[in-house]
Amino acid sequence: MTRKNYYLMSDGILKRRENTVYFINKDNKKPLPINKIYSIYAYGSLSFSSQVVNLLAKEGIPIHFFNYYGFYSGSFYPRETLLSGDLLVKQAEHFLDFEKRIILAKKFVEGAAKNMMKVLAYYNVDNPIKEILSELTDCDVITEIMNVEGRIRADYYGRLDEILPEDFQIGKRSRRPPENMINSLISFGNSLIYSTTLSEIYNTQLNPTISYLHEPSERRYSLSLDLSEIFKPILVDRLILYLVKKRMLNENDFEKDMEYCLLNENGRKVFLKEYDKRLKKTIKHRELNKNVSYRRLIRLEAYKMIKHLLGSKEYKPFVMWW
Amino acid sequence: MYLIIVYDIKVERVNKVKGFLRTHLYWIQNSVFEGEVTVSEFEEIKMGINDIIEKDEDSVIIYSFRTEKAFKRKVMGIEKAPIDGIL
Repeated sequence: MTRKNYYLMSDGILKRRENTVYFINKDNKKPLPINKIYSIYAYGSLSFSSQVVNLLAKEGIPIHFFNYYGFYSGSFYPRETLLSGDLLVKQAEHFLDFEKRIILAKKFVEGAAKNMMKVLAYYNVDNPIKEILSELTDCDVITEIMNVEGRIRADYYGRLDEILPEDFQIGKRSRRPPENMINSLISFGNSLIYSTTLSEIYNTQLNPTISYLHEPSERRYSLSLDLSEIFKPILVDRLILYLVKKRMLNENDFEKDMEYCLLNENGRKVFLKEYDKRLKKTIKHRELNKNVSYRRLIRLEAYKMIKHLLGSKEYKPFVMWW
Repeated sequence: MYLIIVYDIKVERVNKVKGFLRTHLYWIQNSVFEGEVTVSEFEEIKMGINDIIEKDEDSVIIYSFRTEKAFKRKVMGIEKAPIDGIL
């Protein structure tokens, strides 16, 4: 994996020069080797020219934008070069055929729940997720599946409080805006993984707007939401627990106000650095029998979906085995 | 594989080489680039340099390692351009 993610935290200009990309901010001018960029995450305010966009499009590099509060606001999604009409038709077919859609939707919930159980098991926390999950078999509409998913998640976050130190308790999950420190970490992490997954989907023939668990009408790249579900416990939650337990983040890394709590610049830097480390971290893959990075795991998940859609192999969500 | 490239090139071509290497590797200090590349990218880089330089006037040395872990790197004094993904 020679290409890497760039996280632009400061305000600046993205410029094309000498056929590569320069990031210019008030302190310095830094060339980013075009062949070494995988995707760009822009947290500061970023100005860029169409020449840069042309170059990034040519190389197939997406830029993900986040607003002032660190919430995902959108992506520059370069022209698709990996197109497959056949797969698109199959993707739509699996959405339109209600039974087929339900099968996939359940798999995402199942994968997510099993990974949550693994996270809790690591800290020896008992949980009823398995029992709630078993109700999934009787669900025959999406709303019921969503309901099960919601209950699992609510229970899961409650259990995390048993692990977390007092000042980092979740209490109740709050979004838009997150009301306390841990909620802001979860929101920040989730929007990150959402765009990471989108980058991976971009590199496959899948269409990111057709999804199964989430409604495709959500005006978002909702397939990315589906796939992220599985990786949230693995990548985001474990990272948060790590950062909090190791006291790598404290109150000074947050900006607080009456009704919201957000990571400040230093907090974001710490978070992103560790997040990026995790994406690069490798594990020995059991089936492939070789070392695979976490980022690669997300891509493999997309490939597994393609196989399922094309009918060559049934999709089985990724579950941590450690 | 991991590359370290150092070069000594006539003034009229030095910017061309620098510009080309910037698209593939990280600029470390004057006349030095390094970075992780794939095998095919390595070939690309070699061909690219070959097209720019004059064989009887310029000199380019490429050190290649199987992996970044195969050597130690120590900077004394200032690190002119740290390789960092968070900017």
